[in-house]
Amino acid sequence: MAPGTEDFLKLSLHINGAAHAVRVDPRTTLLDCLRETVHLTGTKKGCDHGQCGACTVHINGRRVNSCLTFAAMHEADEITTIEGLGEPGTLHPMQVAFVEHDGYQCGYCTSGQIMSAVALLKEPCGPSDQDVKEYLGGNICRCGAYPNIVAAVQAVRRQSLL
Amino acid sequence: MAANMGNNTLIGKPQSRIDGPVKVSGQARYTSDYSFPGMLYAVPVGATVARGKLLSLDTKVAEAMPGVRAVFHGGNIGRLYRASFLMADLVLLDEKRPPLADNDVNYFGQYIAVVVADTFEQATAAADAVEARYAAERPVMNFDLLRGTELKQSDHRGDAVKAFESAAVKIDQVYSTPVQTHNAIELHGTVAVWEGGNCTLYDTVQGVGNHQLVMTQRLGIEREQLRVITRYLGSGFGGKISAWGHCCLAAAAARNLNRPVKLVLSRRQAFESAGHRPATQQRVRLGATAEGKLVSLQHDYVNTTAMVEDFTEYCAEASPFLYSTANMSSSSALARRTLGAATSMRGPGAVPGSFALESAMDELAYQLRIDPVALRHRNEPALDESMGIPFSSRHLTEALNMGAERFGWSQRSSEVGSMKRDGLTLGWGVAVAAWGAGRFASSAAVDLRADGTARVSCGTQDIGTGTYTILAQLVGERLGLAMDKVEVAIGDSNLPAGPLSGGSLVTSSLVPAVSRALDEVSQRLITAASLLPDVRWSQTKPEDLQVVKGRLVVKANPSGPALSFSEVLQQTGVRSLTGTGSSDGTILEKPKLSKHCFSAQFAEVTWQPEMARLRVSRVVTVIDSGRIINPKAGRNQIVGAVVMGVGMALFEGTEYDPRKGVALNTNLADYVMTTHADTPDIDVIFLDYPDFEVNELGAKGIGEIGMAGVAGAIANATYHATGVRVRQLPIRIEALLEQNQTGRELKKEPWPTHPTTKTTPQPHRANDSPDAPS
Repeated sequence: MAPGTEDFLKLSLHINGAAHAVRVDPRTTLLDCLRETVHLTGTKKGCDHGQCGACTVHINGRRVNSCLTFAAMHEADEITTIEGLGEPGTLHPMQVAFVEHDGYQCGYCTSGQIMSAVALLKEPCGPSDQDVKEYLGGNICRCGAYPNIVAAVQAVRRQSLL
Repeated sequence: MAANMGNNTLIGKPQSRIDGPVKVSGQARYTSDYSFPGMLYAVPVGATVARGKLLSLDTKVAEAMPGVRAVFHGGNIGRLYRASFLMADLVLLDEKRPPLADNDVNYFGQYIAVVVADTFEQATAAADAVEARYAAERPVMNFDLLRGTELKQSDHRGDAVKAFESAAVKIDQVYSTPVQTHNAIELHGTVAVWEGGNCTLYDTVQGVGNHQLVMTQRLGIEREQLRVITRYLGSGFGGKISAWGHCCLAAAAARNLNRPVKLVLSRRQAFESAGHRPATQQRVRLGATAEGKLVSLQHDYVNTTAMVEDFTEYCAEASPFLYSTANMSSSSALARRTLGAATSMRGPGAVPGSFALESAMDELAYQLRIDPVALRHRNEPALDESMGIPFSSRHLTEALNMGAERFGWSQRSSEVGSMKRDGLTLGWGVAVAAWGAGRFASSAAVDLRADGTARVSCGTQDIGTGTYTILAQLVGERLGLAMDKVEVAIGDSNLPAGPLSGGSLVTSSLVPAVSRALDEVSQRLITAASLLPDVRWSQTKPEDLQVVKGRLVVKANPSGPALSFSEVLQQTGVRSLTGTGSSDGTILEKPKLSKHCFSAQFAEVTWQPEMARLRVSRVVTVIDSGRIINPKAGRNQIVGAVVMGVGMALFEGTEYDPRKGVALNTNLADYVMTTHADTPDIDVIFLDYPDFEVNELGAKGIGEIGMAGVAGAIANATYHATGVRVRQLPIRIEALLEQNQTGRELKKEPWPTHPTTKTTPQPHRANDSPDAPS
């Protein structure tokens, strides 16, 4: 039997440093919860199958496809979305680098690319462009801005070595 | 104005996008980001047979499920009208049958109902619970399109058949391209909000004006009752030009329930019912002299189309004028297949057409033992031979030469499998392409404001190409303003009618419209001078004044006293002045000059025959497409076009079960697209010759021409590396393996290979691959 409204779950989610009390259908993915309930729409849905990476968020600092996990599984977690990374005026260095290097075209996959890229900074990724290309292989950009995305990521990695 | 381009500070200079900060911070609002109080969620139900009759629909279980507000179907959704080209000269709509119009099922996934519920999860579950019974028929799914199809001639000059028959050297081959799906990462979606009798559609569309025109017809309301908003579009590549059925379902459901409705297609649904590039099969016959001069060119093709919709993929569009030949003909036909409606996809016609023609040219080069670049030079036309008129601007020879130089083409040894690097076999290939240049009709408005800012507004949209930034550049340049002082308002059908984002025509369409709006607002500023308190200004005759870089000056003394437009407005107590401008489209005109853009693509592949591993390692692309307004975004767009071309060459194709007519790889893991890791080194060169026949800045489009030719160059490089001529895209490992392993004897070996090492692929090639595994 499909769950009715009376079966909806009351959750407290910790997103971008703030607590959010939500009530959602138990079938709700973290992605849909973020977008449709919390109205943090910077995280995008591109496939709902964990294949495109547009929905990438950080859970306790690690990158996760938010479409592949249920909201109800993350009450104890620290969730970071693109909105928590920085906003115009106070952008994260990776966001600045994406603007500088034109690391996007339509901008739709961009949140996921940036969230993956920021997580990558703490991962054991080798130094070369080819290494970055492998590590970002799960984030599809149909506009094909890949070289500029890699350039942006490498610029930030070089800065962080200084 | 175009004469002193050297003084530009914004135009022609690489500019970061003005919408960059909102895009990198998640603040740019795309269609599905909109939510409204009381909003419901709609999920369409698609037919689970490809062809037949819908006999009955059982919605009782679905209707009783938690949160479900309604299940709409043909019997209760209300009237949705057929829309057609009769509405205007230029309206783009590739699925004319309204959704739920009758009980005919014409393709798998065709909408038979739509469920509306309080949440997305509830609507999804209920949509799965809708039961349908069908009288199913066998779908028509074979892709051997030329067989048994009668073609109709569309272009011809001379006697192509006779000239071919008597030609010294001949190529006669068939090339195939599969159904391809756009797969913009943003899913198709509509958020429909009715207030009174008025409707606002937040929609994923490449033309807010086109969409308004179609949807008013569909919904049976007047134009002023419908507003279409697309502030940001997660790209489209042609797939978001047509108003697909789901837009009607969302709008009708919202009207029926008097509640806002959000409908976002799943990835699978987008494969089924939101358009695709049709499959093509093309026969190219080339006849040439022994010296490599073409004497005959025949390009005949068939493309798939839906059972009840017509769509032509104009594969031979460039064939009448790309090369010089006295005898030429092309013919075409549609092959009805049990597929959803086909639509434009990046470089429609030109992209699959160039693959076929340029593969044939490469085959001819090998047969003649002429370098492929030299063969193209040998057939460069002096004018457009199809219409007997000159080209407005064509620098294809220079593009080939420049690309060859940058690529290192002079180092190429022509023998198959003869080039090695780091233990890999290299293949180098070249292809060229053309795409039409012109304009859509467009209008625009420019406001000058007392606070020193300007606003430009136009009912166009930015699909990722950088239209926001281009508009800020055009206005900032003329007014001497930094781009952050220019507000750009687009993506709203209430704004002055602007161009559809398709055909690589937006920038070229906007240039004259914005320029005229600037002319008019400048004239108004001069008129306003008569109100200035300083008599030196107010008593100067308007014809003695002019506006230079947003400043009022005396014509006779342009470096003398000046007033900025904000000073004029502040001193006269006026908040803002508006100028509007418009320009005609060129689509329906009879041209005096042949206006196109051109590209020369050079590709390098690496081949490891031991494990049949083919990779694209390097692409040099030379674009001859007028003046580039923003080289930063422009270069990015060309790079992206090459990336998509790599996907077309090696990965992409929608696969169907021939028995059921169902698309099988309807997700982004099974429909393989180029990823970061697949991306070659890409070198983009813009020739940057302005074409003033198109507009006063000489700007043309680049989105399509960047992709055209890429797949052909890669296929030609693949032959050079492997000795296998793959005539059916995508180039699959199986095709390379099978032909290597079977080692079928060639009937005629044009350029015998001389394997010198063990890693050189089999010297024998099959000469025919239409039956290659798919």
